[in-house]
Amino acid sequence: MYQFRPYTERIWKMRERIRDRVIRASPDKLRLRLEAAEKYEGIVPLIQRPMQSLHVITNMPIRIEDDDYFVGNLGNKYFNGSSGMMWLMANIEKDWPMKEDGLYHSPDHFELRLAVSPEDLKELRELAVGMRRGGGMFGRGEWLPDNAGQFIELGASDYGIPGRPGALTPPGHLTPGFQHIIRKGYGAIRKQAQDWMDEREGNLMNDDMRKYMFYKAATIACDGAITLTSRYAEMAAEKAKEAETPERKAELEKMAASLEWISTNPARTFWEACQMALLYQLFLVVDNGPGVTAMGRFDQYTWPFLKKELEEGSITLDGAQELVDAFFLKLNTYYEGGFGKMAQTAGIGNTYQHTTIGGCLPETGEDATNPITYMTLETIARLKLHDPTISLRVHKNSPDEIWNCALATSKMVGGLPLFQNDDIIIPGLMKELGFTLEDARDFSLIGCQEIVGSGNDYPAPNGMGMTHAALYWAVIMDMAINDGINPLSGKQAPEHVRSGHLYDMNSIEEVRDAFEKLATWLLKWYVTINNYAEYQQEQHFPFPNLSISTEGCMEKGMDVSVGGAKYNSYGGTATGLATVADSITTIKYMCFDKKLCTTRELYDAVMANWEGYEPLRQQIISEVPHYGNADPYADMELKWVIDLYYRLCSECSNQRCSVYKAGMYGAADHVQQGEVTWATPDGRRTGEPIADAMSPAQARDVNGPTAVFLSTCCFDHTKFMDGMALNLRMHPSVLANDGGVEKLREMTKTYFENGGMECQYNVVDTDTLRAAQADPGAHHNLVVRIAGYSAYFVELGTDLQNDIIARNENMI
Amino acid sequence: MQQLTGKIYDIQGFSVQDGPGVRTTVFLKGCPLRCPWCHSPESRRFDTELNWMHIRCTGLDACGKCLGVCPRNCITRGEPTRGVTGEEISYPAVDKTDCDECGLCAKACKATALYMCGDDKTVDEVMHRIERDMPFYEDSGGGVTVSGGECLSQPAFTLELLKRCKTLSVNTAVDTTGFVRWETIEKVMPYADLFLYDLKCMDEALHERVIGVPGGLILENAVKIAEAGGSLWVRIPVMPMFNDSEEHFEKYAAFLSGIKDSIVMVQLLPYHKMGVSKYARLLTREQVFVAEPPTDELMEARKQQLEAAGLPVRIH
Repeated sequence: MYQFRPYTERIWKMRERIRDRVIRASPDKLRLRLEAAEKYEGIVPLIQRPMQSLHVITNMPIRIEDDDYFVGNLGNKYFNGSSGMMWLMANIEKDWPMKEDGLYHSPDHFELRLAVSPEDLKELRELAVGMRRGGGMFGRGEWLPDNAGQFIELGASDYGIPGRPGALTPPGHLTPGFQHIIRKGYGAIRKQAQDWMDEREGNLMNDDMRKYMFYKAATIACDGAITLTSRYAEMAAEKAKEAETPERKAELEKMAASLEWISTNPARTFWEACQMALLYQLFLVVDNGPGVTAMGRFDQYTWPFLKKELEEGSITLDGAQELVDAFFLKLNTYYEGGFGKMAQTAGIGNTYQHTTIGGCLPETGEDATNPITYMTLETIARLKLHDPTISLRVHKNSPDEIWNCALATSKMVGGLPLFQNDDIIIPGLMKELGFTLEDARDFSLIGCQEIVGSGNDYPAPNGMGMTHAALYWAVIMDMAINDGINPLSGKQAPEHVRSGHLYDMNSIEEVRDAFEKLATWLLKWYVTINNYAEYQQEQHFPFPNLSISTEGCMEKGMDVSVGGAKYNSYGGTATGLATVADSITTIKYMCFDKKLCTTRELYDAVMANWEGYEPLRQQIISEVPHYGNADPYADMELKWVIDLYYRLCSECSNQRCSVYKAGMYGAADHVQQGEVTWATPDGRRTGEPIADAMSPAQARDVNGPTAVFLSTCCFDHTKFMDGMALNLRMHPSVLANDGGVEKLREMTKTYFENGGMECQYNVVDTDTLRAAQADPGAHHNLVVRIAGYSAYFVELGTDLQNDIIARNENMI
Repeated sequence: MQQLTGKIYDIQGFSVQDGPGVRTTVFLKGCPLRCPWCHSPESRRFDTELNWMHIRCTGLDACGKCLGVCPRNCITRGEPTRGVTGEEISYPAVDKTDCDECGLCAKACKATALYMCGDDKTVDEVMHRIERDMPFYEDSGGGVTVSGGECLSQPAFTLELLKRCKTLSVNTAVDTTGFVRWETIEKVMPYADLFLYDLKCMDEALHERVIGVPGGLILENAVKIAEAGGSLWVRIPVMPMFNDSEEHFEKYAAFLSGIKDSIVMVQLLPYHKMGVSKYARLLTREQVFVAEPPTDELMEARKQQLEAAGLPVRIH
């Protein structure tokens, strides 16, 4: 069994502080942002946005904690600060008790501990009014393409569901070019832009003015990043003067000197590389809201620095491990404290700073595993961190040792790392998105599962400024057998996409046709609104702070929002297609093939939410073949619906992207969508979760993981370059010894050799989960994976907890 | 000609504790032994039998299709009780005294709460499943394990199944209690790459008293397999108050040292309680022996004891 290293006391204390955090609202950045919006009103957005950031950065309070290895703080005034904007949905003054510290605290039943002072709250409320007046977000209230309402009101997508995130997915859902920032430094990037402008001074012709505006914006962006770093350098120097111990004093002085250096220069050391990545990330958050930009291939862009230092003898492996620990702890503090439905979907404490490790070298394709690959896994396993999500890229030459380390990690923290198969994804990126071999080999993962290029791609994997999990495919299933009416909302699709009721249909082909007709119309509408959002984005939300690190933008003089990146695409996800496939299989089996009931009976049963039809429902669950059991009868329906989904996506495009990607993943959308999905023909009741991501429906896979893998391979994974997730729950006894680890490793490899793209393991038994529900205190650190993120089990809502328990537990 | 069938109660993919690699394990029904701790009691009888899983039952008020179908009136309405999620529910009361395992009630039960345990499957049917799992064998060094019950109590079927696996070059293991005529073992030997061989007890008298059959034949067969060049993966269920003493393990060490060259692994399986809940499924009053599982320290000590005799040992 892989042996993890010990951790230092300082690290553990820091970890405990973050685990037990109370997140406090600090309105400063918001106030500064609005101030800047007023001050620079009328300046074109391309220039105005980096100017706003610079204003915020220059004036916001900053702080360095006494035990900090790295600097950077999201709240800037308090440890674990947040803008607190989202919390205003609550009636805080009334519902949140004031405690002795003079702060309103979120009530005890909140899994997340939030606090706000009366003064901050007052200011936040005022700022919110200001934001609504002229804050710049566009929402559903605005003008939309004609007749979009008839699509939205159906409730078959995130549009039209109250409380669902509207236009919250920010434009930076991607991997920034950390490697470019670290290797070039802001000074050089700024100079590149300045040189271009100097060369053409007073002689800007043709397309030059567009480029000039971009390069101007780029210099302001660089000024922002430089200012941020310098301010921390100054503060570190100040803090060094009053440090309590000589060791801390020396540490702070060194930090100050290094920060000063990296404010304009490229990194020289491992520490500097890590710090640059952390501060660039923070810098992007200033303009982009909470961090949804991923951390990319951390072990790759930092390793050359560590390697050099190890050779020089200026750092030890243990010392480097401590820095890696501190790096990921720091990332955990970049958390805004989500609220309401958003917290429910996106999860508590999830920063989505997905970090990719392992894989292969872009130039040669050789295995890229290095000591930092292991250290990253060590960090999340030993410190029991559920976040950030870690993806381990593996390929046929990945060493067994990294597999073993990863599986040992899965045993400690549920679902982490995700295993991503290079041998499927690399050819897929070349084929579907036109990546060069070298760039394809450098891919990384973001958000839940989305596949992107590293620092060269503007991938908008959830669409642009867009809702999260695209269409509600299980709702479409119900509408297809109900004359286009969503049984939950009662709203009906227009006549030309209706196909009558299930009891009027005489063959399974008619059922499939009905589904296809509706799905085509709905997806096209969905993407139409997405394309509209993209147009808005281009007008209002250019992102020069990001463009300075993105390959293509600096060369072309174009912002990412107008297609400056080397690669451009967008996409969406379909979570829970297994529920659709199982529903079609059920109709086929029960009504047409075996004739065990009539279409009328099945229709009535579904519309009655199975009330009075329990024996029929039970028969469907126990007798009808289901996806996930390597039964071609059921798998062919999944293949049908997935191929349809892919084909429809491939018919979509917009002015920036020729490719609309298809994917099968989702944060916890299957639970959220389940809540607003009427009963489905597969025996699922109204309100119950639909299947998650690419996984079989809960507990319908009864033939073990090999059967799940075989079923999943019934379609071509290389087509789904928006990413996919397959969740499997393993009983801990599977990993009780080396033999078990080896077998799980080999089984996963076989899955990958047979065309599997991704899988992730929850190693936990039902008894433990039930015990944790009964006694949360004793299971404080139990980490499980939902679909798109991992979380502390005791912080999940009961519906999510039960969803995990309902999944089939694969035994020995 | 009627095809040869085996009485099978389960087939598991990704079976990781039944021999090397990722394996498909075929469980045959029926066993001559009566280990009081048996964790698959449904494997004991040789015939197809009615079993019951209450968590699947939706209650007589929602369904009730099982009432009135039994020609011998074995099924009546049970007293209301609390269901899995705490709601009030009435389950059927099944009295198996007069049951002839006709299966009519199981057929009526759409939720398969009442179900027949034990399927007659042809070799072709089993091979169909095995062929599907084959991709998973190669890299992991896995294959097929024929287990039970006692699979060699259905010798013709087991032999045929093993032969068919070998025609596909699939690695095969036979999981046996060893309580079988030597001739039977001899016949399957050419087609069995490995014997997963249970050695439950080294004491003759104790073996017969607790397990119900004499243990001498089991030890003899182990030696014969070794002498005939077979490979043995010995499995010892470590049972509190039965075979877990240091003294008892000295006997294991002495015996196993004598056939050391044929032993690829000695697997110590600590007693666990996971089988306890299965007894209620049998609808009989059969009781399971319940004890506290052995401690990790004890397991480690026994492991070291056997390792000291030069044997390869693992726990689980």
